[in-house]
Amino acid sequence: MKKIIDLSVKEKIYRSKKTQISILNDFRLEAAAGEKIAVVGESGAGKSSLLNIIGLLDRNYNGEYTLFGSPTEQLHTSRLAQWRNQRIGFVLQESALINSLTIEDNIKLPFLYAGPDKKGVGEIADFDTVISAIEIKHILKKKPLECSGGEKARAVFARGIIMKPQIILADEPTASLDVENRERIVTLLFNMSKEFNTTIITVTHDLEIANRHDRVIRLERSA
Amino acid sequence: MKIFKFMVSKIFLRKAILGIGIMLLLLMANYITFTAARSVLSTFQGYQETKYVNQEGVYIANLDPDSHIDMSIVDENGTQAVYDYLNSNFKYAFYTDGFMVSVPNSDDMEISLGYLNEQYYKLNEFELSQGTDLDFDYQLDGEIPVLIGKGLSKTYPVGATIEMEESVLGRPLTLKVQGVLKQNAYHSNYYALNSKTYYNFSIIFPVNEKFIDRASMDIQFNGLMDIILLDTSEEEIASLREVIKDNLGLSFNFFSQKENYDYFNEYYLHSLKIIFITTFILLIVITCLSVWNASVSVRLMLKDFTINLLVGLSCSKLKKIFYGYFGMLSFVNVALISIFTAFNRYGCWLRKDAAFATYGLFGLIGMDWLALLLVAVSDMIIGIIIVENMLRKIKKVPISLGVLQ
Repeated sequence: MKKIIDLSVKEKIYRSKKTQISILNDFRLEAAAGEKIAVVGESGAGKSSLLNIIGLLDRNYNGEYTLFGSPTEQLHTSRLAQWRNQRIGFVLQESALINSLTIEDNIKLPFLYAGPDKKGVGEIADFDTVISAIEIKHILKKKPLECSGGEKARAVFARGIIMKPQIILADEPTASLDVENRERIVTLLFNMSKEFNTTIITVTHDLEIANRHDRVIRLERSA
Repeated sequence: MKIFKFMVSKIFLRKAILGIGIMLLLLMANYITFTAARSVLSTFQGYQETKYVNQEGVYIANLDPDSHIDMSIVDENGTQAVYDYLNSNFKYAFYTDGFMVSVPNSDDMEISLGYLNEQYYKLNEFELSQGTDLDFDYQLDGEIPVLIGKGLSKTYPVGATIEMEESVLGRPLTLKVQGVLKQNAYHSNYYALNSKTYYNFSIIFPVNEKFIDRASMDIQFNGLMDIILLDTSEEEIASLREVIKDNLGLSFNFFSQKENYDYFNEYYLHSLKIIFITTFILLIVITCLSVWNASVSVRLMLKDFTINLLVGLSCSKLKKIFYGYFGMLSFVNVALISIFTAFNRYGCWLRKDAAFATYGLFGLIGMDWLALLLVAVSDMIIGIIIVENMLRKIKKVPISLGVLQ
């Protein structure tokens, strides 16, 4: 299978005035297209930090990262932003919506950064198809604060997949959802992977969900 | 542009209280800077204008503040005797203004008459936009050459005559427009250099000895108040002081312009320094408040920024948006101050206030534009401080998924 993520982190250091914490020591991750990987571990082990690095939000670490065959260290920040817009989708907790925008505007937010004609953008998902599949048509004109947790989680999911990304980074996407909504989100994620060969990396505390991925990476907290 | 519009309308302005807060702080900073800058510029203009009297042997009259004016003992014979003495013993520059007359004009303004003699005219080097210099050798029964301000030139072009009932001589006179003063020509107060009156609706009337002989006591008395003695000495002035005391019962001081400057420095410049220091301190305080306001904004909007970064906004673009937003606020504020100033200037026209009616692009005169430029410069400095601090704040709490948890 085609390798799209090749990450090697020697260490990632967080410094405060008094302390210094080193995480992801000698961490290595390779991921192929369509692969589903779960990342588990106790709080502070570096799960979200790992997603920040993979999602091109954090380049302040000691290591090397090749994404889609290109070393990311050499890429300009505008190119990184373009990749976040078109090739990486973030599926986060239901709170990751802008409260001043309607659900529709939140979902369509990536279009704003794709340019007026979405030039250079690959195939994108049809908005209406996504909305129907996720069953959120009835809340499109609502503001996030007027929606339930499950509805918001599905809206966040819709935004994460609207550009048909090659990688989906899911950070505790089901953490505060009931069983029904949790199952719904996981099914949507896995269907996406199956249908479009999307690589999925999910950070979760839920071992039941983790075990449904192709492989599970356990991060340990440094001593 | 679409992204900028989105960020401003959907993110920044959604936190209305913060947007209004920074807007008001900036407006305050701009207004303070604008007012202080104009005071300094106006004072500088005053210094430039009065340079001509700041030379050896020049003294300017000033009524002693302790002197009690008893108008019942001041009469025409007394003032004329002082002028006779002046004519025989001194070279002097005479100037007095503020005599209002009704002269029909297209702007329906009351017109101020300024009387000056040849010495004053030579000292002041009036700049003309049209016509030729004043001629002081005229007959009161004929046409009297005058200079007029720009505001009157529409009704009275060069060569035109003005018929008027002149109050100083108390008889009808025929004035002939000899020249038109440059737009916004002004006269600064010798003792308060940042205070000035404009000549746009003035008639500059040439005064010669014959005129003073026949003039009313009012103009003779007023003229004495600011009379400038040239090429003279302390001893000669002492005898003039005696003549004034004997004839008018008044004590006069005669200060050199250096003494006037010293007086100005002691009282007025001191106030200006206080204004300047207060402005500077206020600017620092306002900048600190703005930085604090911006920091709170960043904290409250961090989630929104993060979501935008996740879906394709770059940090460099975010920086440009911050600068653009601040530039927009600054532009709005500068525009507000410009409108306010233009409205103030226009108010002088509405009130028919001839001494302060001015001409300029959008109603603003050169001094206003310079002060606005300084406001723009101070905004740039404040803007850089605020935006860089916002970016530092964002870097300190890195944009990451953690922000959304």
